[in-house]
Amino acid sequence: MTSGNGSENGAEGETWSGGGTGDGSRAGDARGVVGAVWRMESARIIAGLVRMVGDVGLAEELAQDALLAALEQWPQAGVPDNPGAWLMAVSKRRAVDHLRRGERHERGNELLAHDLATRPDTGEAGVDEALGVLDGEVGDDVLRLMFVSCHPALSTESRVALTLKLIGGLRTEEIARAFLVSEATVAQRVVRAKRTLADLRVPFEVPEGPDRAARLSSVLEVVYLVFNEGYAATAGEDWTRRDLCHEALRLGRLLAGLAPGEAEVHGLVALTELQASRLAARNDPSGRPLALHEQNRGRWDRLLIHRGFEALLRARKCGGPLGPYVLQAAIAACHAQAATAEETDWKRIAELYEVLIRVLPTPVVRLNRAVALAMAYDPEVGLAAVDALAGEPALGGYHRLPSVRGDLLARLGRHEEARREFERAAALTRNVPERTVLLERAAACADAAAAVRAAPGGTVTLGEAADDFLAREDLDAATVRSYGQTMGRLRREIGDDVPLADVGAGRVARVFAAAWGSAAPATWNRHRGAVRSFSAWAAAQGRPTGGPDGDLAAGLGRRYEPRGRTRPIDRSRVEALGERPDIALRERVLWLLLHESAAGVGPVLALNVENLDLAGRRARTAGGSGWIRWGDGVAELLPGLVAGRRRGPLFLSERRPGPGRPPAPGDLCPETGRRRLSYERAEYLFKQATGHTLGRLRAR
Amino acid sequence: MTMRFLMTTKGIDAAPPTPEVMAEMAAFVEEMTRAGVLLATGGLDPAGIHVSASGGKITVTDGPFTEAKEAIVSFALIETRSKEEAVEMSRRFWKIIGDGEGHIQQVFGPQG
Repeated sequence: MTSGNGSENGAEGETWSGGGTGDGSRAGDARGVVGAVWRMESARIIAGLVRMVGDVGLAEELAQDALLAALEQWPQAGVPDNPGAWLMAVSKRRAVDHLRRGERHERGNELLAHDLATRPDTGEAGVDEALGVLDGEVGDDVLRLMFVSCHPALSTESRVALTLKLIGGLRTEEIARAFLVSEATVAQRVVRAKRTLADLRVPFEVPEGPDRAARLSSVLEVVYLVFNEGYAATAGEDWTRRDLCHEALRLGRLLAGLAPGEAEVHGLVALTELQASRLAARNDPSGRPLALHEQNRGRWDRLLIHRGFEALLRARKCGGPLGPYVLQAAIAACHAQAATAEETDWKRIAELYEVLIRVLPTPVVRLNRAVALAMAYDPEVGLAAVDALAGEPALGGYHRLPSVRGDLLARLGRHEEARREFERAAALTRNVPERTVLLERAAACADAAAAVRAAPGGTVTLGEAADDFLAREDLDAATVRSYGQTMGRLRREIGDDVPLADVGAGRVARVFAAAWGSAAPATWNRHRGAVRSFSAWAAAQGRPTGGPDGDLAAGLGRRYEPRGRTRPIDRSRVEALGERPDIALRERVLWLLLHESAAGVGPVLALNVENLDLAGRRARTAGGSGWIRWGDGVAELLPGLVAGRRRGPLFLSERRPGPGRPPAPGDLCPETGRRRLSYERAEYLFKQATGHTLGRLRAR
Repeated sequence: MTMRFLMTTKGIDAAPPTPEVMAEMAAFVEEMTRAGVLLATGGLDPAGIHVSASGGKITVTDGPFTEAKEAIVSFALIETRSKEEAVEMSRRFWKIIGDGEGHIQQVFGPQG
């Protein structure tokens, strides 16, 4: 904005119009006005002076002189009509004086000094004229000053301190308070920065060419760093130091006005506006920090959200590839658009992270992506992504790594591990309210873990587990009644107070043999189904039973339920067949196996040697989908039939195949060259021996 | 801490603003908006609609009710870091507009 507004009310530098009535209040008012005007104008004043004198340190000194002059004069004489112009004019005079003194030594400045000195800097139009010198380029000067104060040659701390001082107009003492360091430290950073800039003779310009992008990102980095320092203060009692956020917002908006063609600048503005919109909602009334999903979205500042969206639109209009700030702003916009936490479009957010990770593959982005994946898909997916970050040196002391991991583990019901992660996170953060929340979460996980431990570690009994199992909401009444019969019998026979972990498959098998051994196969199978369901449920609850792999039905074979009226051959008859000397080992094993397993003829003939689990008395079926189990009789005979073979069909035909009908490769024994025993041949042999079909061998 | 202020102006008897003043005002508004200082601004119909509630009864009456001079005719919602900055903004506004009078009131709201 130009201050030369054509006002005709006399020489502004010399016309005084005090605000207050009484002298005391006028002096106080004036001091307040000096401060306010300084903060509003210092960037332009200093930038203009740097262009005149070519040195940041000197420019700041000259501007400070003008500020002191204002502090001396305004309380007495009143606040000038145009206080900003007054400060600018006085600074400029000091600069001219300085250049004149330096003329003897530095002839290079002579022309500029002469030029400035010959302009009327007093009298009626003095101030406006003087400002006119600077006005045309004042905006560009401020932009140049930002590029200089954020120069990559300076340390990050120095860049931040210098930018807040020169562009933000903050006093050393204010910067020190915001960053929780001493004033001397900040002063030293500023001095060091100015010296470095002078030593390097950093030109007062907005860089062009390949340098520009890198220099611009350094500027953006400083602004975002200031914002983040305020948004989630790294230490101390205050969770947010909002002044820094607002200072960063100001810097960003200023930058966007000066460099309107840069998409990333608008992206940064959008990101900070959207994040700042949540400032008032980030704590509960007691100051406890609230996570995004816990916040009262009614407290989000709609005005800032609106500004954020507008900035994001401007960024998109600039075109070009999507940069990291634009992408992060787009993610923040997804949150801002969700009226409730449940409505958050996590799939879209996860997609944006996939793009972001390509342009900004930092560990922190990867961590945030893991959170998005967990929310969009599954905590397991997120956990895998977090675990891939373990050992990442950049995240070594970062409390959010264990805190995110703890959150995912807690959601997976792994409370004990979650507790350890939250405690680790609490030890890493320096932010007091945040540490309190993390320790609370650790305590909650400890409680949950204790509750689970109180369950299986020995004290959960068969009775309690059975009650919980039947109390599930997803069972219909008929199922509850049916399962209830099975569980009731087991509880009576085994004992309500027996720890679940001590209930084994053998005990269950004995109960079954006694209770339903002579019952119809359908009855047996129904009770068996109940036990299988109970075992699976208990294992999923983290309360495994004492069965092998938690399976209490391991000793219970499924019984054949005949469709027709044919009665299966009874056990004694099968055993008698096994005693006959004219029956080959192969047939004895086959018949016994069919009887003991109650499996179908086809699957049994399809068994391969490599799928046998002799110790476990079971074999995986050819399709890999199930198990065929057997008892003592088969277990005794089977090693003899296998006879050291490692692969191929278990049951082989007596002869090698003829040349006319080559068998399928899977039906050929690689060790003997013989083919798999056919259904027809097996059926024929059994019929020869007993007059019955093989299907009659299936147990009841 | 930033603060929000509502700046209002009362009716002015003076002649309508010249195109120069209008242009300068537009530039001022644009710059202040871009800087994030000016959040919202607009003019108000001096006549307005009068609404009163008494004992659960709501009465709505069309204006005008006040002298044109007393009516608030424009407003600006601004955000600054101090009261002094708000006053300084107001000063710049009046330098462009010329004679008149108005109010500056702090707005308390969700920013908390």
